Amino acid sequence: MPNTRDIRIRIKGVKNTRQITRAMQMVATSKMKKAQDSARSGRPYAMLLADIIGTIADEFEEVTQSYFIERPVKHRGILVVSTDKGLCGGLNGNLFRELSKIDNSAKFVSIGKRASQYLSRTRRDLLADFSIPDKPTFADIRNIVEFMLRSYDEGRIDTIEVVYTSFINTLRQEPELIRLFPLNDLDSMVEKLHSRFQSDSSPYPKDNREILIENKDVVLAELASLYLKQEIFQLILESQASEHSARMVAMKSATDNAGSLIDDLTLQYNRARQAAITQEILEISAASFSQ
Amino acid sequence: MPVILEIVTPDSIAFSEEVEHVVVPTVNGKIDLLPKHIPIIDRVIAGDIKIKWNGEEKILAIGSGFVESYGNKVSIIVDQAVDVSNEDELAIEEATNRAKIALEEGKKSNLDQSQIDLLEAAARFEMAKKIARKKSR
Repeated sequence: MPNTRDIRIRIKGVKNTRQITRAMQMVATSKMKKAQDSARSGRPYAMLLADIIGTIADEFEEVTQSYFIERPVKHRGILVVSTDKGLCGGLNGNLFRELSKIDNSAKFVSIGKRASQYLSRTRRDLLADFSIPDKPTFADIRNIVEFMLRSYDEGRIDTIEVVYTSFINTLRQEPELIRLFPLNDLDSMVEKLHSRFQSDSSPYPKDNREILIENKDVVLAELASLYLKQEIFQLILESQASEHSARMVAMKSATDNAGSLIDDLTLQYNRARQAAITQEILEISAASFSQ
Repeated sequence: MPVILEIVTPDSIAFSEEVEHVVVPTVNGKIDLLPKHIPIIDRVIAGDIKIKWNGEEKILAIGSGFVESYGNKVSIIVDQAVDVSNEDELAIEEATNRAKIALEEGKKSNLDQSQIDLLEAAARFEMAKKIARKKSR
């Protein structure tokens, strides 16, 4: 039986740990709320942009812009949105399980330290590794988008896809793969966007009147790159909301576990103390009897 | 018949109301969008948007983006939009100067083209705020 002093030291240690995990839980909770709000506030922009692209694409009989044409896929280009820090439950593990399904010809771009570590450990073809601040702005992700577009233009990659953790609710986050480029099926893209945002607003009804657009090709290319930028931004925001809620849940269960461990240890401690007292009384009474 | 005007930025819906007409700066010059304008999509450049309704006039400074007019709906999608009447003139002046200096230094120190573009966009947006502020007085 361990002595009372050892148990007391352990209880103290577990209490300290519980204090830390509780603090981390609080921090994650407040960050999660903010991340959710900013993920939500970008939605009208995304919808409007998709609607405009949908309208403009209807205008074209044949789109010649390379962003809209599917070409034979030699190398898929995959952007992995992971976290910098751990302690967020199975979030990154689930994400990497999704990655392991992808074959080796794909090329990767990573956001977050965890993804770059995983990709180099599994010897994947990592093109670039970006890091983004905790509260990213639209300008922060510009480099990432430009890098992806340049690789696409130069033919190093033939698709632009994103693996991220989609935020379903506070308790559920699931890894998901979304293909952004090429935009060869615009109607289903707009539809998917609507279903993802669970929006009930239908796009503004359009008849078949002709639309006046100058420099159609330029406008189309710019719209496409803006769409890419916006989508990646949105997916990053959503991943961050997922990260913070996963961390909050993980830290909450750690705090709870520490609590029950403390209860168990306290019981053990009291037992040991009681046993010691009983022992002493026995010894004293035995001594007085023998006299 | 009013125009349904919606100005959307990545952060929020900056403006959403029924108005009489709206003047938007585009790459092909300023266009005045009234009800029943022919359907049009165009690129918006940084500048000031003039909105008129009920005899009132409102001027917003905007960054670059796109405008779509279809039927009676005008959708403007830009990277930023600010109602300058709430902003301090001196603050705008300072911001403009700062943006200009940053741009000059960026050009001198051989920054990446994308970085320079970014600074340029910022400078242009600050200028737009200044102009819009002057007009709204």
